Amino acid sequence: MAATSVSLRAPASRSVSGWPLLLLSALGLLALSFVLAGRAAPPDSALVWLLGVLALLLLGVFGIRQSAQGQTLAARIVPAAATLILLVLAAEALLRAYGVPTGLIPTPSKVALSLWAARVVLLQDAYYTFVLEALLGFVIGTLAGLLLALAAVRFRFLERGVLPYAALLSSVPIVALAPVVIKAVGLGWSSKTIIVAVTVLFPVVINAVRGLQSAQPMHLDLMHSYAASPTQVFREVRWPSALPFVFTALRVSSTLALINAIVAEFFGTEGHGLGFRIQIEVGRFGLDIVWAAIVVASVIGVSFYLLISAAERLMLPGRT
Amino acid sequence: MLAVALVAVLIYWPLMLWANVGQAARSLASGADLGCGTALQCATQLRNPVIPAPQQFATGFQNLSVPPLAATSAPYNALVTGGETLLGLALASVLGLVLATLLVRSRSFERATLPWLVASQTVPIVALAPMLAVLLGQFGVQGFFPKAIIAAYIAFFPIAIGMAQGLRSPDPLQLDLMRTYRASPAQTFRLLQIPASLPYLFTSLKVAATAALVGSIVAEISTISFSGLGKMLAENSRASDTVALWVIMIYGAALGIALVALIGLLERLVTGWRRPV
Repeated sequence: MAATSVSLRAPASRSVSGWPLLLLSALGLLALSFVLAGRAAPPDSALVWLLGVLALLLLGVFGIRQSAQGQTLAARIVPAAATLILLVLAAEALLRAYGVPTGLIPTPSKVALSLWAARVVLLQDAYYTFVLEALLGFVIGTLAGLLLALAAVRFRFLERGVLPYAALLSSVPIVALAPVVIKAVGLGWSSKTIIVAVTVLFPVVINAVRGLQSAQPMHLDLMHSYAASPTQVFREVRWPSALPFVFTALRVSSTLALINAIVAEFFGTEGHGLGFRIQIEVGRFGLDIVWAAIVVASVIGVSFYLLISAAERLMLPGRT
Repeated sequence: MLAVALVAVLIYWPLMLWANVGQAARSLASGADLGCGTALQCATQLRNPVIPAPQQFATGFQNLSVPPLAATSAPYNALVTGGETLLGLALASVLGLVLATLLVRSRSFERATLPWLVASQTVPIVALAPMLAVLLGQFGVQGFFPKAIIAAYIAFFPIAIGMAQGLRSPDPLQLDLMRTYRASPAQTFRLLQIPASLPYLFTSLKVAATAALVGSIVAEISTISFSGLGKMLAENSRASDTVALWVIMIYGAALGIALVALIGLLERLVTGWRRPV
């Protein structure tokens, strides 16, 4: 007990220099961006600015190193947050210093303004892409995958006959499937839901079967000697041992589901969705809206991933 | 496995008829001359079938692959896409190995970047692809390379995570043993951690190969490109040539399976010595 408290306190005293360094580099980058934003034309020599940005980033790296010591909550969160802030500020300063045209890469501040200006449209698109296509497809794919896995474990001939195909099909690029499904089902959101469901299906089947079979023979023998019914064996032994495997598949599929919904929208929509928006705006060189859509998509993607991870921690306490 | 394949073939014919018959009936009802009497007969010769009939598949395959190395044939384009994917996979492996080493060596690096590495996987790469192509074009990088870079962007993450897990896999006893031999950290890394991580590396390479293939196909769709399966998909999707889409889909599937098999072969060659464990 004493040892842990010492090890907690010692790094805290060392990390005193971390915060000021981080603050200094962030403020420096912010000041650079402001000075550059005040100028009408990009400066003649961008090299000086580049060196300044690099020096401030180096300062930030030392700050991150210092503040990442120890096991406190701050030591877990601050470095990650600082990385993002510093990178965004550095991008802003460098894009301004080199006078990169907005049509090539918009500055982060411009993206933020567009995100606010187009928030209603982007939220509607996000609802369409995430709720109707990615989430619904994810749920359908997971349920179908679990049912198929249960059937495969129950009936040996299915396991021998179907699983090799599932492994084979999981190495099929899903974009190749998208045009065919959209041609067959139509341009509405249901075709994208089906594509997402198919993407989620194979990882869930493969992992769930592996998990259901990972029950230890000794536990099964024990249940047998207790004269437990197959339902009881399933509930008490097989299902708990399968859950970690299923959650691994779900975590991987959670990010895939959203991306695949967006990719699928490239092959035809009725004019809704983030993928549609991105494609249209790239064609119009409205890259600030494109980046804003990307920001929305990744915020949703990260939240979905975190939600699945949180559900995993809730259902499987004691594992990370 | 064979029995299931047989069942699938047996279901295929009625399924195909069922999927197509509605469309055929509608075309007949609208007065189109399809050169056939009933809807059931027409179901096998629609120009735009939902599921193509066997003879349509046969002609589609023949049309798309007879001079195998022509610029418009599927085998040639599959080779192009496969090359891009392999190059992307090589880039991704280098990046993934460097990242994995850093992640294992430095906790502050892990804390500062791991959340964003995860987040980078939720960024829709399709959105970045056209911009990346324009950007790289500014620096004179065109054609093959942008697609490989996009493929690498998708594929590096599973490799980095799998490799980091592998580098951490030796158990404390083995690490202690290395310490009692007074092995330097570099020696421990080379002699213990790298060999221990190989199975993890190959598992994640298989995942990454499929991801990279998706990446290069998507890159071909969303950038200006003149060859590759993605470009064929985009063109035939625009032209509503359903039979061609099915054929390209099968080629893409075969390519994905071939890539995973290739890595399996490589694994057998590299880790063959650890078989008799």
